[in-house]
Amino acid sequence: MSTDAETVKVWDPFVRVFHWSLIALFGAAWYTGENHDMDRHRQAGYAILALVLFRVFWGFAGGRTARFAQFLKGPGAVLAYVRTHDGETPSDGHNPLGGWSVAALLAVILTITLAGLFAVDVDGIESGPLADWVSFDAGRTASEWHEGVFKAALAVIGLHILAIGYYQVLNAQNLIGPMITGRRDRAKGEAVEDVTWSPVAALGGIALVGALTWMVMTGFRFG
Amino acid sequence: MTRTKPILMAAAFAALLAGGAASIAASPAETIAARQANFKKMGGAMKALKDELGGGADKAKLLAAARTLAVTARMQGGLFPAGTGPSSGVKTDALPAIWAQKPVFDAAAGKLVAEADKLAGLAGSGNTAAVLAQFKVVGGTCAACHRQFRAED
Repeated sequence: MSTDAETVKVWDPFVRVFHWSLIALFGAAWYTGENHDMDRHRQAGYAILALVLFRVFWGFAGGRTARFAQFLKGPGAVLAYVRTHDGETPSDGHNPLGGWSVAALLAVILTITLAGLFAVDVDGIESGPLADWVSFDAGRTASEWHEGVFKAALAVIGLHILAIGYYQVLNAQNLIGPMITGRRDRAKGEAVEDVTWSPVAALGGIALVGALTWMVMTGFRFG
Repeated sequence: MTRTKPILMAAAFAALLAGGAASIAASPAETIAARQANFKKMGGAMKALKDELGGGADKAKLLAAARTLAVTARMQGGLFPAGTGPSSGVKTDALPAIWAQKPVFDAAAGKLVAEADKLAGLAGSGNTAAVLAQFKVVGGTCAACHRQFRAED
């Protein structure tokens, strides 16, 4: 990898591809859901499930800044960040507050997706791939969660966008560029190393998540 | 097949009584609760049919669900007397269009009964493809009527 002194690599390619594909697929799932295009809605859901499962896996096996252990900090560190951050010093990946925003985003989107797997529509006609494991009432409850947590997700996404706008406008910190290119400007005298990642771990994760998603799509019935 | 007809006729008679009684004695809230409970029952029956058609295709289960659907569908037409729409103040997804276009609504309700009867006739046949095809026809009648007469949830 390049050791360009001016910039440093903060996001590995999987984090970036995950981020932008999730936006596209979330939009697709929203659009198809609103328009009762349920076959495509389910397909978007399977893709989102695979993405989010991979991101969870990558949170343990990915590049430095992708790991939960690196960016989920205790309340003390979060408070200290909120009190002292000057808006100019860049974080190594997620900042202590933004890390929890990532966790919240992953949690709401995973909850929507899991609820969708069991959801049944009011007519009992359209349903998620695992709905035949639960009763009609349970499926309806899952459907309510699917929709309720979706609204919560919109709120969390709104907050995420506002936060990026805040850094961009008030702190002149461009967070969008690095999420595309992977690199950000190095602060003066900053001794942070480029993010590295393991192709073996990535392949293993893709195989694992692919198998799991396929099993979900078949409803765990292999007859 | 042979046992289906008398059961359905008895159910029709019961539905007539229930519907008649509802329009005379029941409050709008009671009528709305009754038809909502029935719709829920039909949703459950549709799900049971779908689950079986996508899995074991158990004839007895298909038949039981299809009969529940046909019997319950019969009761619904009589459970929309005037005054049981949103203007009643009771929470309901039933749109005012039901009463503004009562003949259209009644025809749609009748279509559901006819198609559900066909499904009940086929459900025990063991011809899964035919049951599935008719299941989709019934689902189509649900969806068509809901688009026109039910508020989006």
